[in-house]
Amino acid sequence: MKKIILATAALLMVSNVAEARDQIKIVGSSTVYPFSSYTAEALGATSKFKTPVVESTGSGGGLKLFCASNDMDSPDITNASRRMKEKEFATCQKNGVKYITEMVVGYDGIAIAQSKTTAAIDLTRKELLLAVAAKVPNKDESALIDNPYHYWDEINAKLPHRKITIYGPPTSSGTRDAFEDMILKHNTKHWKVYNDAGFKKFHEIRQDGVYVPSGENDNLIVQKLAKDTEALGIFGYSYLAENTDSIGAATIEGVGPAPETVQDGSYKLSRSLYFYIKQSHVGKVPGIMEYSDLFMSERMIGDKGECAEIGLIPLPAADRDHYRANLKAMTRLTADDLKPKK
Amino acid sequence: MTTADLFLWFFAGLIPLAAMAFWLARGRAMAIETGDVRLHSRPGFYGWFSVIWLALPAIAVSFAFSVLHMFGLFTVPGPMLLAATFAAGGAGLWFSLGQIKAEFRARQAVEKVMRGLLLTAATISILTTIGIVLSVIFESIRFFKVIPIWDFITGTQWQPDTAFLIGAGRADEHVAPPLFGSVPIFAGTFMITLIAMLVAVPVGLFSAIYMSEYASHKARGRLKPMLEILAGIPTVVYGFFAAITVSPMIVEIAHSFGYEAAYTNALAPGLIMGIMIIPFMSSLSDDVIRAVPESLRDGALALGTTKAETIRHIVLPAAFPGIVSAFLLAVSRAIGETMIVVMAAGLRPNLTMNPLEGMTTVTVKIVEALTGDQEFDSAFTLSAFALGLVLLIATLILNIISTIVVRKFRQRYE
Amino acid sequence: MNKEANNFLHQGANPRKRKRERADTRFRWYGLIALGLALSFLVFFFVDIIGQALPAFKQTEVLVSVNYTEEAKSNYNRAVEHKLTHIVSRAWLRTIPAYLEAHPEAVGTSHDEWVPADSRVDQYVKKHEGHGLKSKYQKEVDALQQEGKVRSSFNIAFFETGDSKMPENAGILAAAVGSVFTLLITMLVAVPIGVMTAIYLEEFATDNRFTRLIEVNINNLAAIPSILYGLLGLAIFISFMGVPRSSALAGGLTLALMTLPLIIIATRAALRAVPESIREAAYGLGASSLQTVWHHVLPLAMPGILTGSIIGLAQAMGETAPLIIVGMMAYIPEPPSSILEATTVLPAQVYTWSTESMHGYIERTAAGILVLLTVLLSLNAMAVRLRNRSEKTW
Repeated sequence: MKKIILATAALLMVSNVAEARDQIKIVGSSTVYPFSSYTAEALGATSKFKTPVVESTGSGGGLKLFCASNDMDSPDITNASRRMKEKEFATCQKNGVKYITEMVVGYDGIAIAQSKTTAAIDLTRKELLLAVAAKVPNKDESALIDNPYHYWDEINAKLPHRKITIYGPPTSSGTRDAFEDMILKHNTKHWKVYNDAGFKKFHEIRQDGVYVPSGENDNLIVQKLAKDTEALGIFGYSYLAENTDSIGAATIEGVGPAPETVQDGSYKLSRSLYFYIKQSHVGKVPGIMEYSDLFMSERMIGDKGECAEIGLIPLPAADRDHYRANLKAMTRLTADDLKPKK
Repeated sequence: MTTADLFLWFFAGLIPLAAMAFWLARGRAMAIETGDVRLHSRPGFYGWFSVIWLALPAIAVSFAFSVLHMFGLFTVPGPMLLAATFAAGGAGLWFSLGQIKAEFRARQAVEKVMRGLLLTAATISILTTIGIVLSVIFESIRFFKVIPIWDFITGTQWQPDTAFLIGAGRADEHVAPPLFGSVPIFAGTFMITLIAMLVAVPVGLFSAIYMSEYASHKARGRLKPMLEILAGIPTVVYGFFAAITVSPMIVEIAHSFGYEAAYTNALAPGLIMGIMIIPFMSSLSDDVIRAVPESLRDGALALGTTKAETIRHIVLPAAFPGIVSAFLLAVSRAIGETMIVVMAAGLRPNLTMNPLEGMTTVTVKIVEALTGDQEFDSAFTLSAFALGLVLLIATLILNIISTIVVRKFRQRYE
Repeated sequence: MNKEANNFLHQGANPRKRKRERADTRFRWYGLIALGLALSFLVFFFVDIIGQALPAFKQTEVLVSVNYTEEAKSNYNRAVEHKLTHIVSRAWLRTIPAYLEAHPEAVGTSHDEWVPADSRVDQYVKKHEGHGLKSKYQKEVDALQQEGKVRSSFNIAFFETGDSKMPENAGILAAAVGSVFTLLITMLVAVPIGVMTAIYLEEFATDNRFTRLIEVNINNLAAIPSILYGLLGLAIFISFMGVPRSSALAGGLTLALMTLPLIIIATRAALRAVPESIREAAYGLGASSLQTVWHHVLPLAMPGILTGSIIGLAQAMGETAPLIIVGMMAYIPEPPSSILEATTVLPAQVYTWSTESMHGYIERTAAGILVLLTVLLSLNAMAVRLRNRSEKTW
């Protein structure tokens, strides 16, 4: 028995020596996760490289791990459903992660989904705002009041008399972030009544049970929508694509989510998906370039690519070529790139 | 040289060396023991003595190096570390072999080390507690620097949205301070625990009464393991069952009675959690009921009470403190349960008395905060540790009360 | 009491007595109903889970003619007829280039082969709601079924592969190996330390403040929610000691600390059950306290210790919450080859699948649960048998 004890004690001790890996480590956004892990599996199945490990930590959590150090223990790639922030870039630089390459793999549309058995509802972004915001303008738009709406026809008489129930992502999710951006902030930025009330941009979602945060377990939202025929659900386009037999999409300003409408910008609820490569690990951990090449290849993210089949909305062909060239040249991301465009 | 290689070399070196040291020292000791010279201890003790002298220095050296490495002070390449380790071990071995003499008290030396090892093992449990406290307390302090502790405990609004923005590096946009009032979260935890207890206490208690007072010895031997199966089912399985099977069932049943139920209702996880806790409740109560002295029952029965009356008026009051302590432990089990609520309960902090609405719990919020999309240093993530601290304190208090109650109970009958 | 005593004196057809007897029977029934409820839940639960899991052990296969052309080497979709590319499993399809690489003699040949079908096809053939197969492919599958080119066979892949993004290719091998690695670490750490602590407390410790502190502390540790051990693992093992995230080492150590109090409590009970006379006999023969424990008390307490350890390890094996915190809920499709590599475990795999959106994963989740339950229940049954066999009255 003593030997076992010795063995475990020793085990504890020598475990913290840095080591070389032969397996790529990927962290980051739960939205990119399905595509990233799909590509990882394809790499493992079709090459001599080990299948990369993909952990869904969220965009912020992924960038945090990615930027924490340049050690071989740190992740090689992080996925993000938003662009890296300047502050995060600075953290990276400070911790020795100096050379980063940025890739865009495609778009994710935020789908407003509903049961297929109900007639598709058509909403404007403003109507959506009025349905989900914690505070909305009163009738003559002179002041903000607590959201009184419980039926769609109370917002706009032309809408059906249908109970407002919205299953959406929780606070911690990147989809929620994007939704707040595209619906709440976008609409309230230049809305006088909000500005007068002291909000540069308003982003608070009501908490009276009309908006039901439902977790990243989108599978459950799909089931709920199939049964609760009046409700709407907010989630990534990929989940809609998976479940077209039971749920359909509401149209936004007359446009439904589809690859074409996202690419040409007519569908307003979409965002780009990124991944970031730690250049210092290329060559040390085998397969990083092969993985990135595969992910950026036509076979994966092309118009008829395998990722498109599971819900990724492809980039326009020219953009794909642009990022492929960046990948080949290992273009270095700079702080200037991340400055918001004026 | 990878860490895994280092391990391999470390063990591949140390274990045969230890075996060698053992045989060498024992052989030497046995060689001393001739006709009239008697060893002080059995030869095996000399062997173990050498093993200890080989292993302790080796481990001490590798430990020292890894501590240095851990704090980033000093790093040596793997082979050198191994060489130093084995050199230290070899020196120890050489020294110990020199010690072997007939009058050397090897047994005392070995037993001293063994006692030391046992004591070290016992302190690990203390270190674990300290570790848990430390791992939540620092982050909690950081959290309470941002959010006043009083607001956290008494606030009824949990709206971390703005903390999320600050965390995401967009502090400039924030308009209202984030609200971290944990009352709705505790209320959800309380509600689900209450439902669980409403299931577990009657079913568990009556099962225990039946098994200890009515069932034959044979029947009891069959029933008890069957109930314990319920405790052996992993919580992730209960969670799946609650989310996929029970929750939709409740929604449908509620609908047929004209009620609206959310798919994340508190009832489904509560019921399932209650079922999970049944064996916990029943086996603890069973123990205390059986600990009530037979003489009390005999006395009551001799006075003509029926069996049920004996149980109600004599056995249960006597076992009451024990049952209370079982109840408290079951409560602490329920408030700390994670997977069932993560999979089946809601995420929305909701201050309501209606169990058909979605509610959230402390553990759900901890998991949400640690696996979400936000930056690690945001107040939102830190809130996980503050909630963890509350959870820790709550379970500790429940446990201490139950320990005191049970001690009173024991004193009464032992 | 007085009244009752009175009753006792006036036995006979007394309405109050009958009432009391009825109350007595009722009380007995409460117990039976409680037990009945618990056991009927158990039956309902198992029927439901098994019912959901069974379809996962069948995998639909289709008979297709595979063209091992030169072209298939670079574009595997060309190996089968174009209309079939969405019918057959892509997981199988993409192995073709590697196969042709290894078997150059096969290039240019063509065979009729039974190959696994895509998960949506599989779900459609199994007539599950929410199969997700597009209607144009449904017609294709119907036609194939007419021709007898669809069959169902045992899903061996479920036991031979790891996680996959395609349900038809997803299996439990990687998670099972990961569970073994993790549990091995848990066992190697928790059992020796737990047994040693128990020996110390039961056989050596004097009743002082330190000993009492340890005792109270162990009881408290047993009651601490498992998720807090996850926070501990994250802070101490991963952040402080630098154990790689998601590794079996990190998970195993975390679970070991969680299991430790259980093993200590069980071992102490087992040691306490060994009668004092055994120890006194050993001392009487001149054995030292350590020799007494090692040679006499421990062997007698061994069945109890083993039972406690098995139950503790079974609990660790089913635990998920702390492992989510230490990063084991990830896409990790390959079995680990060392304890430092990223790995997942069975319950974490079950949780991961339960969050996937494709319908094919629901039955995988149930099947994973079934495997997990089988292992856990056999472990528990083993522990119970061991306990019953060794239950000695001294």
